[in-house]
Amino acid sequence: MLIKVNINGKDYEKDVAPYKNLLYFLREDCGLTGTKEGCGAGECGACTVIMNGKTVNSCLVLAVEANGAKIETIEGEAVNGKLSKIQEAFKKHHAVQCGFCTPGMIMSVKALLRKNKKPKEEEIKEAIDGNLCRCTGYKQIIEAVQDITGQLKKEEEIIYV
Amino acid sequence: MLYEFDYISPKNKNELLEIIAEKNGECKILAGGTDLLVDIRNGIIKPKFVVDIKTVKDFPKITYSEKEGLIIGPTITCFDIIENKLIQEKFPALVLTAKELGSTQIRNRATIIGNICNASPCADMSLSLLCLDASVDIISKEGTRRVKIKEFFTGVKKTVLNKGEVVEKIIIPAVMANAKAGFKKLKRIKGHDLSLVSVCLVKKGKIMRVAVGSAAPTSVVSDDIDSNSDFPTVWSKIEKLINPIDDIRCSKDYRIFMVKVYLERLLKEVK
Repeated sequence: MLIKVNINGKDYEKDVAPYKNLLYFLREDCGLTGTKEGCGAGECGACTVIMNGKTVNSCLVLAVEANGAKIETIEGEAVNGKLSKIQEAFKKHHAVQCGFCTPGMIMSVKALLRKNKKPKEEEIKEAIDGNLCRCTGYKQIIEAVQDITGQLKKEEEIIYV
Repeated sequence: MLYEFDYISPKNKNELLEIIAEKNGECKILAGGTDLLVDIRNGIIKPKFVVDIKTVKDFPKITYSEKEGLIIGPTITCFDIIENKLIQEKFPALVLTAKELGSTQIRNRATIIGNICNASPCADMSLSLLCLDASVDIISKEGTRRVKIKEFFTGVKKTVLNKGEVVEKIIIPAVMANAKAGFKKLKRIKGHDLSLVSVCLVKKGKIMRVAVGSAAPTSVVSDDIDSNSDFPTVWSKIEKLINPIDDIRCSKDYRIFMVKVYLERLLKEVK
């Protein structure tokens, strides 16, 4: 089936198999491999992208369902090699360790901040409740979001024992 | 990635009903896809055709009137329910259960009707719908039939739906508007997870209903109980309804214990 999708502001028109999901369409057909596959079953959120303003698990959306949609992925974040605000904050607060959850995590944070300029800690947790992180730890991610929104009270001291 | 199937996107109800009648059980309905695509991936179902109902233009959305009550169409997602002002105000039970379903990403796609058609005993939306005495309109080429949600589930992942039928809408009677509600869901983690048990309690005037999930082959609901009843009276009724199993997620005894704990808390909280 021929589909038209706008990804990060760029139009793509491609012929795609009806059983291919959006995740594989992005990775294989469009060469956008920033979006990762974790579980492939909507549990881990590594494949999170923003579709028409809402976060979705791209493994649970067929590419043909995205016909006519506006998709945002991690590749749309940095412009001309300059990191976005969210990426900068993630870097600063060590909210990236292995990095596998990061593309999805950043998409969830992006969607949250669009809707809510000053999210409370509980609201941040709720927004990323569909994104599993198994090595960084959520604390740094939450702090990064609090920093972007000017809510981080003080730099926490690092105590070396 | 997935096993191969064909994708059909009908434009209206008539076209949809023609297609599903013609394909006679070889097709599956795709709404949010958050259950369907997982089942296809895992090889549990192997449909030849996947019929997307999001392209059907003449399905109902969300409407409310004193005469007909609240109508919810088959493409309405959890997100739509949570964000809807009228539902927030008049049917808080729906918002409470929709908020607990899956994760943000899942709630943005998963539909209410898809949740009940999947008929998992741990479905979150079933509980508020059971408490609110909802019905569904089932359409096919032969016509429309209305079924109470209480009679809709027939077993684990089984419903009264026949081949060639599709749920057109959920109807919640207007008498249940402004009913007070509480919902508790026990999970292994704070984030998104299936329920170990879940309890929903709704009070409207003199009537109280309690629904329990993950504690029997289907979600179950009590008959109308006097809303001033004390805990032992209510528990004696609920105890007879539930029959949980031991499984990988937790034991039968723990499930029964937690239903009891949640029921006691909800009776105090929902005033």
